[in-house]
Amino acid sequence: MDPTTIKADQFLDTSGLSCPMPLLKTKKMLKELAPGQILHILGTDPGSKNDIPDFGNKNGNEFLGMYDADDGSTNYFIRKG
Amino acid sequence: MAGTFWQSIKEETQRSYSSIFESSWPGWLAGIFLAILALMIFMWHSPWGITAGFRNWGDWIIFGLGLSTERPVPPWLSTTSVTNLGLLAGAFASALMARQFKIRSAPAYEYLKGAVGGAFMGIGAALAAGCNIGGFYNAIGMFSMGGYAMMIGLGIGAYIGLRFLIWELEKFPQQAAGPPKIKKPQAKPMINWGQVSPFAGGAVLLMVVAAFYLYSAQGHTQLGGLFFFGTLIGITMHRSRMCFVRAFREPFMTGDAEMIRVIAMSLMIYGMGSAVIKWSYLQPEMMGVYHPFWLGSLTGGIIFGFGMLLAGGCGTGSLWRAGEGHTKLMLTLVFFSIFNSLGYRVVHHTGLTEKIGSGIFMPEVFGWELALPLYMLFLLAWVFWAVWNEKTEKFVVF
Repeated sequence: MDPTTIKADQFLDTSGLSCPMPLLKTKKMLKELAPGQILHILGTDPGSKNDIPDFGNKNGNEFLGMYDADDGSTNYFIRKG
Repeated sequence: MAGTFWQSIKEETQRSYSSIFESSWPGWLAGIFLAILALMIFMWHSPWGITAGFRNWGDWIIFGLGLSTERPVPPWLSTTSVTNLGLLAGAFASALMARQFKIRSAPAYEYLKGAVGGAFMGIGAALAAGCNIGGFYNAIGMFSMGGYAMMIGLGIGAYIGLRFLIWELEKFPQQAAGPPKIKKPQAKPMINWGQVSPFAGGAVLLMVVAAFYLYSAQGHTQLGGLFFFGTLIGITMHRSRMCFVRAFREPFMTGDAEMIRVIAMSLMIYGMGSAVIKWSYLQPEMMGVYHPFWLGSLTGGIIFGFGMLLAGGCGTGSLWRAGEGHTKLMLTLVFFSIFNSLGYRVVHHTGLTEKIGSGIFMPEVFGWELALPLYMLFLLAWVFWAVWNEKTEKFVVF
């Protein structure tokens, strides 16, 4: 699936935050979603590039993909399981 | 045929560059490298540390402010400070070569957490006589019992710190929802940093090598070596994003056991090497055994653990992230340094040192024959606990 075409249900901006805040906020936001809904996360911390995909595939959730924006930030998509 | 020969060299160089300096290293590889480098530092001079270097910087700040009349050793002649500077240079070079260096700013509130976290870590490291490296990794590897006390303290502190972060999330809910802002494409910059950056990184590494020869020419070969080893540690940690905070935080946050596996394995190698060196008297047995067992190490660990959760980096983690351009962690380093310098004065001038414990050498208690198997079994137990927790999430609080 081309991640740039994913339509998300909820958006979370973690720009400027560093480890562990992006992951902690992602975890909290996922809890509030209904199963099947998609969360779009925007982040600038290089560590998130490993953390969020790993975490996104845990607990029955599914990591759908990611892409870099022109300004160096990264967009991530997770579907809640 | 000559064309294909150069062609293959070019391809191989590009492939190697990409796998060494661009893709991230697996954690286990970094764990092995870290143990080897720490052993080299141990044989070259004395056990690897971080905090004494920060304290040297803090002493300078306090001296500069006129609060002390005692002139500290210059940062480029203080051994631990030199390793730290090397680590910083290594992470900086590595980030440049991976095109990941960027001055990164954070929301104002994050700077506050970085500063307060740094202050807590400075005080904790003063009590425990070391940070996550000197007081924990090294202490355990040097068979100093204080390392285990600090480890327990770090776990408790990380738990309290995580609770605080969760409380903060609940108390100040994020302004969620709303579609993402579409950012306007920026004008093309004059210099294409993506192309320049790897060369700048290479230049930094050449300067590190030059610095070694310069130190050597001045009769400070040992310091030059420490700078060089520090640089290699900085590269290793940045390429693998090695994070000691994670080993203490993840059991409660996501359950992830990866970093515990890495650190436990690294400690097994480090401990075996250190046993060879100490048992054969290549270096004195009691070298690196000075941690206040158990009260100082335990309380220092709790305070340090809380601080590292707030700051999002420990002694080494703050250093390499500062090298990658995180301004929040640069601030953390400043506060760590100042508060460690102050805390050290308090601990040593009030007679507190005698009350909080003293360095206990594990083989002196158990004998080498029993100390070594206990050492290995303890680390194995830590890994098994973490892996079990990863599956069951028994300790995960959020």
